[in-house]
Amino acid sequence: MLDRLRSMISGVEVDFIDIRYEIKTETGIGFAGREIKSVGSNRTDGYVIRVGKKGGFSSATVTKEEDVPRAIQLAVEGAETIISTGGKRSALADVPVVRKTVELVLEGDPRKISIDDKIELTRKYNDLMLEQPQIETTNLGYAEVGREKHYVNSEGTAVSEEILTTNISGEVIAKRGSLVQNIRVSIGGADGYNKLLNREDVFLKRAQIAGQLLDADPVKGGTYNVILSPMLAGVFTHEAFGHFSEADIIEDNPSLREKMSLGEKLGSDEITIVADSTMNNQIGYYVYDDEGVAVKPVTLMDRGVLTGRLHSRRTASAFGEPVSGHTVAEDMRFEPIVRMGTIYIKPGERSLDDLIAELGDGLYLIDGKGGQTSGENFTFGAQYGFKVKDGRLGPMIRDINIMGNLFSTLQNIEAIGNDMELSERGGCGKGQLNIKSALGAPHILVRNMVVGGA
Amino acid sequence: MKKLLDIAAKVSDQAEVFSIRSDDSSLEMRNGKPTDVSASIQSGYALRILRNGRIGTAYTKNLLDREELVSNAMDSLKGKVEAGFSFPEPSDLPASWLPDESVSGMGFHDLHSRSRKALDYLKRKVEGQIDVYSGREVQDTAIMNTSGLDVSRKSAFMYVYTSLPFPNTETGVHKFYQSRKPGDFPESELDKLVDLYTAGLPEVDIPTGRMKVVFTPDTMYTILWRLSVATTGKSFYNKVSPLQGKRGERILSEKFTLYGDPTDTEEIDQRFFDDEGVPTKKHTIFEEGVFKNLILNLDYADKLSEEPTGTGYRGGMWGGETVSLAPGPSLNCSRVAPGNVSFEDMIKGIDRGVLVFGVLGAHSGNILNGDFSVGLNPGFYVENGVIKGRVKDGMVAGNVYDVLKNIVSIENRLHDSTSGGKYPSILLDDVSVAAK
Repeated sequence: MLDRLRSMISGVEVDFIDIRYEIKTETGIGFAGREIKSVGSNRTDGYVIRVGKKGGFSSATVTKEEDVPRAIQLAVEGAETIISTGGKRSALADVPVVRKTVELVLEGDPRKISIDDKIELTRKYNDLMLEQPQIETTNLGYAEVGREKHYVNSEGTAVSEEILTTNISGEVIAKRGSLVQNIRVSIGGADGYNKLLNREDVFLKRAQIAGQLLDADPVKGGTYNVILSPMLAGVFTHEAFGHFSEADIIEDNPSLREKMSLGEKLGSDEITIVADSTMNNQIGYYVYDDEGVAVKPVTLMDRGVLTGRLHSRRTASAFGEPVSGHTVAEDMRFEPIVRMGTIYIKPGERSLDDLIAELGDGLYLIDGKGGQTSGENFTFGAQYGFKVKDGRLGPMIRDINIMGNLFSTLQNIEAIGNDMELSERGGCGKGQLNIKSALGAPHILVRNMVVGGA
Repeated sequence: MKKLLDIAAKVSDQAEVFSIRSDDSSLEMRNGKPTDVSASIQSGYALRILRNGRIGTAYTKNLLDREELVSNAMDSLKGKVEAGFSFPEPSDLPASWLPDESVSGMGFHDLHSRSRKALDYLKRKVEGQIDVYSGREVQDTAIMNTSGLDVSRKSAFMYVYTSLPFPNTETGVHKFYQSRKPGDFPESELDKLVDLYTAGLPEVDIPTGRMKVVFTPDTMYTILWRLSVATTGKSFYNKVSPLQGKRGERILSEKFTLYGDPTDTEEIDQRFFDDEGVPTKKHTIFEEGVFKNLILNLDYADKLSEEPTGTGYRGGMWGGETVSLAPGPSLNCSRVAPGNVSFEDMIKGIDRGVLVFGVLGAHSGNILNGDFSVGLNPGFYVENGVIKGRVKDGMVAGNVYDVLKNIVSIENRLHDSTSGGKYPSILLDDVSVAAK
């Protein structure tokens, strides 16, 4: 395959060209309540071409091999357009030439498990949730996505790597009268099918929480001191801070770029944030990114000081900073962009009980329900929470969304817990979906967060 | 397609092939200069087969092996997914308009010159960052089935999107222009964008409390998302809609009418059949506040013993590969019926309130229950009919079934929204606003 790719780009008169060919396989099973709604295994493929010419940089994606010459022509035209119209000049940071094939290491290869067994496993967890009191229905699915990637560039790099993710995820819905409450559930990873086995406790707990939410009070809007659970603190880390650590997000916004200068003290002394996709056994694991660069751990913030950034070869050159191997595409339909992989807050020393006592009055908010950022502003939902009064947990609350400003929130992080959890399923949407985005944190205590209530 | 359908027909009671081919180009200008230029030529095929009351599905983007695709669909049948519906027979469809070939021929330089025109105009009026995005999208879609249906459509349009971020932030105001023919961003709309930007430059603190709130066209999806989910056949079949048993009842203010109409001659993506080949038509969900109809695909129409509504589409909340997604109930080309006040008069009538121009977190919260709690991104504060500036750290929250009972007025004009429909601004009373 690599030789074929090499021949497709040979002889093109440009300064740089690369091509990525991918075969994508997907197996999906979907339940809506007790009814099975979809089952299927599919295989498809496609090509991504990137071209650098006289400082212009452009890309084109195509499905069919016969369209590859047209894609190369379009990418060349795109690069030329950028330069002829006075656009941004780009260069690629130097990286070692790599010739490597990375084998997949799995604990339990899902491709060797029959579709019937996958259906039965998903059905077992689904039925378990449906049997719980107050549960009206579920949406639960098994998803298995494989990417067999082959990458070649004009500098001589040739890398093949296969990645495979599996998860069982969805939501459980409780209903009483016209009041409907839902809770998300997810298990999975990138290291094999075994991670999906014997996880009944997760599904049981989520169904119970959904039922309990029918008796919870909607939170009242206002400003609160809060404790965020590991998954919710992880959402903050990913959504608010992490995206700002992706160089392409801030590259063309001079004022934000200045704010995010390395060496700036942006957070409280308590907080250290790391991006590390080299840790195996987690969803964000990979070896080479989609421009053939080995991924490296990066300490993004060290005790409140900005110390690192995530880069592509192009942004690394533009910023004069080290490459980090974080240029990743959703699949063969997309050119790669700067992505986080695994990001987390390093654990501190306090127990959850210590944090609740320290909070005094406020809210304990648990698990993420989607997040979104725009520049330094972020909003994310919590699945549920509890009021905290005089350092003690009070009644359950629902309908919780939090809004904040990245920079003020980083300064308002007052204490870090000693626990740590990483998500088992990714799904970051930054123009394209990244199913390998892992996030996590210990519990954290944050002062003065705006909570929008009903 | 025909060969694939013939192979599939031999092993099934009924079969359907859906195909799509797209040819898109885009050009981004951030902070005044071209920063990204890209192109994409994609194709895809989806196969559905029905046998003994069960459905099998398969897709590929690259149809190299028809037998393999049919074999995957046959394997999918083993999942025993029940399907009681039939693929539709041919019906008389109006002749589709033919796309303007000049859109297909738009190259990167043409996109750049139209972006540049908008940029230069804005540069004369605004100091600060200006971002302009432009592109053209050309698409061919076809559906064939064993009931004799053989339909296809072509679409082509171009767009220019202008954005003015406020200083030291990525939050800003924007305007969107799209056309079936190559065209330039109307200067009158750019003037309105500049006025909005200028009005939003001061940052203001506001108190937490209940006040008037205007959802502008680009934020209307926050409300419609919740109404759409509650009115799909899926939610009704699974008995989780808060509107269960309330069909025919007045649920919302009588000022509120919601419908979808892909056949609208003004529609940029006008179409006469959905992604299952069912003819499209004007389909009303709420009429003067009364809950009238469900949003159905073939599957849920059959399960609920209703007539198909021409609203089965291969799409997802987060995009996704069209051919990999099963057709689901979706209200495309949606419209909120216009009211009788101008946007300017609407603002003049606000004693204290917030204009919502962008939201963060519309996808969070309990959507099925109708709850929303969104960050203002940005939101403008209005006092005694005058915009005071943009709100610093604010959220708007509520439940759509409550807030849509308190509609004060609806704008008398529809605008293209970036989420795909055409909507007016809508003024609501007594909505919860949280601020620092």
